[in-house]
Parts: sequence; structure tokens; C-alpha cells
Amino acid sequence: MNAPQAVIFDIQPFSVHDGPGCRTTIFMSGCPLHCLWCSNPENHAGRPQLIFASKVCKWASGCRACVGTCPKGALTASDNGIELDRAVCRECTTFDCVRPCATHSLRVCGKYYSVKDVMDILHRDSNNWGTGGGVTFSGGDPLLHHDFLKAVLEECKKDNIHTAVETSACIPTEKFIELMQLVDFAFIDVKNMDNDRHIAGTGVSNNLILKNISTLVASGWNGRLVLRYPVIADYNDSDENAVKVIEFMKANGLFEINLLKFHRLGQTKWEQLGLAYPYSTGGDVSNELMDHLQSLYLEHDIICYVGDKTPF
Amino acid sequence: MTNEDKLKELLKSRGIDASGMTDEAAIPKQAEGCGKLIDIYYTLKNTVDMEFPYWYNRVWQENGSDVIMVRRAKALAAAFAHLTPTIQPYERLVMNKTRHVRGAFPFPWVTASFFNAQAEALMKEATAPSESEADSVSIIGAGGGNVTKSYGNIISIAKKFGMRKEEIPVLVKTCSYWDGNSVEEMSNHYAKYTPQYDIEQAIMDSVLCMFDSYCIPQGREVINYYLPLQYGWDGIIELCDRRIAETMGESDGDGLMGMERGYYYVAMKHLAQGLSKWCQNYADRAYYLASVETDAALKKNYEEIGGVMAHIAHKAPVTFRQALQLTLACHYAEVNEDPQSGQSIGRLGQVLQPFYEKDIDDGVTTEEEVIELLEFYRIKITCIECFASAGVTGGVLSGNTFNNLSLGGLNRDGLSAVTPLEYHIIEAGMRCHTTQPTLSILYDEKLPESFLLKAAACTKQGMGYPAWMNNQDGMNFMLMNYGPEGMNVEDARAWCLGGCLESSPGCFLPLRYNGKVTWIPGGAGPTAGSGVHFVGLPKMLELVMTNGYDRRINKQVLPAHNRKLDSMEAIQEEWVRYMNLTIDVLNKVNNLQMDIWRKYCPPVVSSLLKPDCFAKGRGLGMMGGRYNATINFESCGTVTFVNSMASLYKNVFKDKKYTLEEMLDAMMHNFGFKTSYETGVFSPDFREATDEAPRYAQIFADCVNAPKFGNADWEADQFLKWYEDVMFGLTRQYKSYYGKPLYMCQISVSTHGPQGFITLADPAGRLAGTTYSDGSVSAAAGTDKNGIYAIFESATIYDHSTQQNAQMNLKLHPSAVKGSQGTRKLLDLVRAYMRKGGFHVQFNIVDSKTLKKAQAKPENYRDLMVRVAGFTQYWCEIGKPIQDEVIYRTEYDD
Repeated sequence: MNAPQAVIFDIQPFSVHDGPGCRTTIFMSGCPLHCLWCSNPENHAGRPQLIFASKVCKWASGCRACVGTCPKGALTASDNGIELDRAVCRECTTFDCVRPCATHSLRVCGKYYSVKDVMDILHRDSNNWGTGGGVTFSGGDPLLHHDFLKAVLEECKKDNIHTAVETSACIPTEKFIELMQLVDFAFIDVKNMDNDRHIAGTGVSNNLILKNISTLVASGWNGRLVLRYPVIADYNDSDENAVKVIEFMKANGLFEINLLKFHRLGQTKWEQLGLAYPYSTGGDVSNELMDHLQSLYLEHDIICYVGDKTPF
Repeated sequence: MTNEDKLKELLKSRGIDASGMTDEAAIPKQAEGCGKLIDIYYTLKNTVDMEFPYWYNRVWQENGSDVIMVRRAKALAAAFAHLTPTIQPYERLVMNKTRHVRGAFPFPWVTASFFNAQAEALMKEATAPSESEADSVSIIGAGGGNVTKSYGNIISIAKKFGMRKEEIPVLVKTCSYWDGNSVEEMSNHYAKYTPQYDIEQAIMDSVLCMFDSYCIPQGREVINYYLPLQYGWDGIIELCDRRIAETMGESDGDGLMGMERGYYYVAMKHLAQGLSKWCQNYADRAYYLASVETDAALKKNYEEIGGVMAHIAHKAPVTFRQALQLTLACHYAEVNEDPQSGQSIGRLGQVLQPFYEKDIDDGVTTEEEVIELLEFYRIKITCIECFASAGVTGGVLSGNTFNNLSLGGLNRDGLSAVTPLEYHIIEAGMRCHTTQPTLSILYDEKLPESFLLKAAACTKQGMGYPAWMNNQDGMNFMLMNYGPEGMNVEDARAWCLGGCLESSPGCFLPLRYNGKVTWIPGGAGPTAGSGVHFVGLPKMLELVMTNGYDRRINKQVLPAHNRKLDSMEAIQEEWVRYMNLTIDVLNKVNNLQMDIWRKYCPPVVSSLLKPDCFAKGRGLGMMGGRYNATINFESCGTVTFVNSMASLYKNVFKDKKYTLEEMLDAMMHNFGFKTSYETGVFSPDFREATDEAPRYAQIFADCVNAPKFGNADWEADQFLKWYEDVMFGLTRQYKSYYGKPLYMCQISVSTHGPQGFITLADPAGRLAGTTYSDGSVSAAAGTDKNGIYAIFESATIYDHSTQQNAQMNLKLHPSAVKGSQGTRKLLDLVRAYMRKGGFHVQFNIVDSKTLKKAQAKPENYRDLMVRVAGFTQYWCEIGKPIQDEVIYRTEYDD
């Protein structure tokens, strides 16, 4: 049971917006998509990453604890604080600069967990969820860690733990279907119905995603599926895109969707990774538009939730 | 059709439960009159005046040779009978501590040295009386009603209250009578005979212990309203006459206390007469105001008040409003007897349910009218101020007087005790946002879900109440602590909170009303909190490491142990030795203080309002109450201490990365940072490096990164378990003046500010002078990395029912509990902790940005309230160190 390991970059107990009831959400590193607006960019590398939160750094109050700690010389001091050679940092596995940092402004994001490590946490937290709660695997895309997730989900089933995933559904169909048999509740993102636009925004085609959803429904899977997408101006906020989603849902007998209003909560993390955030401007949508899109879905008898206003 | 309606329709057609989508009902605004009264409250300043002490003193002196209990009853009765009744327009419930809305007064019979030392200066209208050590390190909030500086015709006293200049001569003259005779000075006189008195004094100078027992000799207990509700003042007077006839001159075979009974009933008769007159004065005042009032509505209001007050001045109440007003009269009577904090209301919604039920059945009142009255009640309780020294009122109490109202729990039959009236008490708290009374839910799995959801919806509003207490823990503690005095499971069910978090014994008494008997709960013991007050656990560890020498004040505080601390066990042993010595010397002195108090300043009002005093004919101070093992030992800084131990263990003894000397050196140099004394910032997050910083950078990081409590990490949590196990046995070795063992009360109130102030940097990386972690099982700010469930795991590593309480503060971002789903999830969270045996959890549901803005511009946030360590207080009335601590607590959102 201990063989597979996975990189997990955050574990959030008392998670209340990632599935029914009170949950523990496990964020797993690595994703087949690279969305330009991603709010968890620290997962992209799929392994532990150095994060530097310059706003927390006490350089200005005289702290120099990290200076000279990098064996590769990637951390240098300048007049205004430290500078990192991000190309070197991205490949780092030792993270020597983190140890003397008392503010945790330099920290490692992501850690290897065994199945037992995860189950220990879930067993601890399962005392707290109350009825209707459980575990949600998020990311990144948790389904990328096929063997690991399968082992964890099987353990969960044994222990009657309610399982949910937030996934892009962009993995080989056979593996996808196999894993989903162990899942009670799923959010699957359909970022754009237009394949070219999907590729432009996420780096991958939506063909496999749509096929996997159809296959899943046809497989007789008896979990609850809620489609989801972030509504982003000039990307997927058109009626035309919504109508195509509706057609797709109707064709597959799906009836629940959750629209999320675009936000920039991930922006600081892009900066802390030394990456340029493509959505520092643009993308914003109005509440009126969200209402409008919701009414469009509702008119077609699709249950459409906006944001965290859900019945679960 | 709106989107929402359509959505609900679709959900229904799919058979999906849509109850979580329902919008929460909008909360009605507070009653119009309440809004007016709150505005007045906000503009008024804390005021002390001499009316009450003047009459007390005068009659006390006139009865120089009387039996002390009777003499004091006469003095109190006269003071009550002469208080000027003040009634504001729009008030529906009346009475005040003094003639002022935010009024208080000094109790020179308890402590007078403060004024006598400064008589001359005061007469010269100087502003700042000398301060004790604890006073000098206590920082009071500068906003709101606090009078921190003299201005115009007003003299600032204790940095919090204003007194009019013309009253100063009365103050000086009244206090001079008590020079050398107050409880404080009399007990100091005898304290000098205790062995190791010099150590006790050194402990107080170092502020290792925060203050003395005489400062607030009563409170942290629960009132019992049974007698006045059942008999009224006239009925009590009649009962006294009957008992006097039965007992006067009779020892009844009890050579020690038998003869006391006659005096006791004489004293109670005087008191009841005084309280009756006090109520009648309000009736007269109301009728007078009605006679001169031209506005018809206000006139009618005064007439109604006159009717209520005239009735309860003599007879037992026959309506809900009369009953509520009478309980308020009892409450004010209690808090005027001695300096008090934490005189608690108890389970009012169960006590008054029979009156409520009858009025509703008879159509005498409506539910809305009842809620409105309960809103007015909130304002009346919020107006209760306590006058003590700056260290006590500001540094410890943060200006709050902790008049706690408990709800829920079990009834005498072991079933849910929740009443319909209790829903209205919560509703009133949701409509009328005031700091008091704070509400406490006695959580039990038997309570109705609708009630718990109602309470959660109230908690969610962000005022900090209700807090949640574990009923089963409380009952278990009761049975363990009071079992030796004969407590059975029925009485254990009557417990509730006295003060912020002091589990207090109770009992049920049979109220005969409306043609039936209702067993109503009420307090059944004296004060809980007058043993050893607030020992700073991290400071104790510092003294172990410095061989007993306090480097802040350059003084040997505890005798040098001269031991080489070469193992964790050695540190633990020396810490326990120091703790034993400290409790021993403090307990003796506090016992003396309280013994002098009960003999020379015996409780009179509370001796009427506590069973079984009246049945036995014996005062509460002489163990007239049913349960007397109430006296506790108060700790402060538990988690700061636990984290320090964890770091010492990890860095010095396990990994052997540093020697103890290196660790001590780093602590003495504040890890190379400026101290908060230099910077004036007490937030745990703030640090400014000195030239020495590089030298300590690595050790500082290792200390900060050492295992911390609150992460479900045994390496740190084991020290909490060790500490709790040790203290369980240790405290019980020491006996109170009632001859009963002490036990631990683990609430910091606000002492984690001043006691943090006097403590150097610690091995866990907390810098010198910054606040300790609050509560006893809250994670230290910013150190909880694994989320709330991990904190719950750490906190419940020992059985919480072994001590009076355990305290957990959590800060949630409002978005985490939005909507009706959010209410349910908040209740899930509470229930999760209660299921694990957590004793108490309370919430600040507010985002840190708001708090920071409010700190910068307090004038724009006059009504913002936060939860500190067991109570709710206006943001602008608490000191900056505590503000910083609240801001820096980890905020949980999704």
C-alpha cells in the first residue's frame, strides 16, 4: 500500500466550497492543462517548488538570513532584497535557502506523500466532517496520479468515506473510467466548447475531455456530476459557448453546472514563482452577465449554480 | 420568474434537496428605542461618582458596634435606598449601578490605598495616581468610553474612568476612613506573617502573577434568582421575620455557627428592605416623569415602568416583564456589593420561561414584545462597569465585566433544557449588537437541531457570541469537583458559566408559578476565581532558565535552583518545583485576603441569592452555599509555554543543535531584534533587526520552525499532555480558604497582553514583550499550518473535563460560513470539536482587513466587536497589544 507516492501541495481541512458538506481537500501537483488564468500555478511543475513571498520577507527590517545559503549561487542580494535565478530554482531539489528563513517567505511548495500519509490525515479528519462531508481531491488534476489516487480511493471506499474529485477529465479514457468508479461526486471543467479556443486557453484540445464525459455517463456511473467552468471575459463568456454547453449536456443527459466568476486570487502565486501572470488585466465579468448566463441555463432546464451558492 | 425561483423549481423536479439554498431570513433591526439608547451609550464616558460609597460609609460608621454582617447589610441597604434613580426616555427596563449610565464607583472598604496614597495629588487635581507593577504594564484601549486623560472638569482615574472635580473631596474623605482598614491593607498586614512573603512580593513585582484576590473578591459565579422570583422582597422580609423568631438565641446544637443564624436573617431583612426601597424609588421617579411628560408615548412608557417597579418593590412578579426587571434588579444589587467581574446571569431563558409561557398563553404580551424587552435587557447589562485598578479593569478585563448568559444544557430530568424563550434571547442578540450579556451555549447532543442552528446563525454574525461549551464536559467536571460535597447528577445538570468560562456549580429549585412547579436552574456556589490569579507559564520557564533571576527588573524572583539543566526532564522538574513554590506562597496570601474579606466585608447580597444560605441561615462567605470547592488557580500562556518546551526539546536535547547556554543567549538578545518595548509594536508578526541579527538568524529560524502545538504533531502536543497531567495533581494539593482543593482555570482573559509584555523572548521564537497565545488551546498566531481539524486534534490530547475549562479561539473569514449552508457547516465544525471532548470554542468571524482598518480609524468602527478570550468587547475599547494579537490570529477561509 505504501509504494505509490504523489506530490501534494496543500491539504485544506474544513473545506466548504469543494463538494457537499464539510470536507478535507487535497491539492495534488501536476495538470495536463496549463490554463492562462490558473489559480494554483504552483502545481504546474508536478514536483516541489520554491516559492518566494517578497511581501512577507523581512529584508527591509534587516534580515539577511538566507544570503549565501544557495550552493548554486541562485540567490543573490541586491539593494532592494534578494533576487532568485528562477531557471535554477525551478530545478532545485535541496532548497537550502529555506532553512534559515523564519518568516517562511521562502518556502517549498509541495511534498511527497504516501497513500498511508494521506489516509492517516483522512482518518483524523473524518471525525470532523459530520454527515454529508468527505474528501475532495483537487489540484492540479488528481487523476494524473492514477495509481496513487486509485489506491487512496480504494482505501476510502473501504472506510465509507465520501469521495469527490475536481478534474479536467483530460486523461486516457480507460484510466479515467476506472478511477471514476471509485468516486461519488465530481466537478469536471469544460473551459470552452470551441476546440481552438480551448487549446488557446489551456494548451490542450477538449476532444478527450468531452469524450470522457460522454463515456462516463454511458458507463452507467452512479456518482453525481456537476460540470463547472470559470466565466472569463472574451474567452468563454458568450451565449454561444453556453448554448453549446447546454447542447452537450442535453445530449449526455447532464443537468447540473456550476459557473464560477473569474477572479485573480492566484495572481500572487504566479509572482511568487517568478512567473508572469497572463491575466493581470482582462477577464473580468459582471454580476449581471453571471445572472444572464444562469438564466440561459435555467431556461433550458439545466440546474445552474453561480459561485458558492449551491445546495451542497 | 427569478433565477432563484426557477433554480429551486428545477432542483425540486430533480428531487434534489434545496434547503441549503434558502436565503437566511433577514434579521430585523433593533427596536427603535434600543437604537437611541445605544447611541447614547456610545457617546457617554465611563463615570465614577461617590453617591453609593458615601451612604455606605455613613451608615457603616453609624453602626460601629453592630455585628459585622448586620452592619454591612445596613450600610448596603442605605446605599441602595439613597441611589438617585435615573430613567432615560425610551427605556423599557430600568435601574443602573449608579445614577450614571456607564457608572461605577470605588469600593474603599475593599481597597483604598490607591486613593489614599494619592489623596494630596488628587486634591491638587493631578491626573495619574501611582501604579502597581501590573498596572504599569497594562495597556488600555484609548477609544470608546474610556477616560484615559483628564480634561476640563473631569479627572481621569485608573486611566479608564472620569470623575467630576467636585466629587474628589468626597472620594478622599471616604477613602481616608479606610486607610489601614480596607480588606487590602488588613490582609497585607497578615500576609507578612506568611513564610516566604518576600518571594510572594517578588512574584508580584515581576508580574509572574497578575493580581491579588482582594481586587475583585466576587464574581465568576452565577446568580440564583429563585428567592426574589418566588417570594418578592416583602415575602423575603416576612420569611426573615419568621426565621428570626425561630433561630434568634438558638444554637441548635452547632456551637460554632448556630448562633450566627439569627444575625444572618436580621441582615437579610435589612438588605431586602433596602432593595425594596431602591425599586420603589424608581417607581416614584417613573410616576413623576410621567406626570411632567407631554409626549403621549413616553408618558405611557413611564407609567408602565412605574407600575412594574411599584409591583416588584414589594411583591413577587406576576408577568414576564416584572420577572425580567426583578432579575435585573438582583443583578445590579450583586455588582454593587464589591468590585466584581463575571457575575453571571445563568440560564435566564429557563428561569423565566414559566412567566413567558403564561403571558403568551394569556395574550398579555407577544413574542415580538418579548424580543424587544430582551434587546433592552442587553443594553442594561452592557452598561455594567467595574471600577478597579488599571491593571484589573484594563489589563485583565479589557473593560468588560463578563455577565455571561448561558443557554441550553439539560434539565433536571436529563432532557434538553432548551425553552422557546431561549430562541428569543438569541434573536435579541442578533438584532441588538452589544457586548453584553455574552451568550454561551451549553452544547449537548440532546439539544434540538433548530436551536443549535439558530445559535450558529448568531455566532456567524461576527459579534463573537454565542460561544460554545461542552455540556458533558461541564457535568463531568462538576461531578468530579463537587462530588465530594455531595453533588449528584441532577445538580450537575444545573451547571453553567460564571464569568467568561468558569464552569460553576448550580442546582434546580422548584418555582411555583402559574399553577405548576418548574424546576429552575441557578448558581449554587461562591466565586470561582479568587485563588491564584493568572500565573504566566512562559515566564516561569524563563525563570527556570535564568536560575530564578528576572532580567527584566533585575531581581531574584524565585530562589536559585543552581542546577545544571542537562536534560528535558531536569527542566520539567525545576519548572514543577518553581510552580509548586509559586502556588504555595500565592495561595497562602490569597487565602488570607479572602478570609479577611469574608470576615470583615462579608458578602450580603450574594448570601441572599445563593442556595442554601437562606435555608441554613449562613452567609456565603462562611460556606453557606451548597458547593464550596470553587476556588481556582488561573493560568496564562499555555500554548506559548508548550511551544517553548517543544523547541527546547527539539533544538537543545533531541537534535542537540544548540546548547542551553546558546539558546538562553539568543533569548537574552531577543534573537537580534529590537524589543517591542523599543518599537512599541506588540504584534507577533513584527520584527526589526539590529546589527546582531545575523548572529542569531539560524537559531531563530530553528526556533520558529520547531514543532508547534496545533498541528496534530505529537512532538509538540506531548508537552500539553504532560503539563495538564502534572497540573491536575499539583493544583489539587493546595487548599483554598474553604479548605477545598484548587483546580485549574485556563482562561487568559486579557492577561496574555501584559504577561507577554513582561516575558523575554522564548525558545519558540516569540520575541520579548509580545503577547502570549490567547486561551489555553488556541494555536499561537500563525503557527497552525495544518488547518482547524489539526488544532482540534492537538487540543483534545487530554481530557478537558479534568479542569474548569479550556479555551479555544478561532478566526474564520465570513466567506467560509456564508448562507444557510454556511450556518450548517459552522455547526458541523462546532459539533466536530464537541464530539472530541473540546470544552469550549468561540469564533471571530471577521476579516483581518476590516480589523486593520478599524485600528487605523477607530472612530469609523465604534460598533465593531471582537471576541477576545472569553468575552466580546468593542474594538476601540481594548488595548493595542490585544488588538494586534487578534489581527494576527490565523484566519480560516476556504
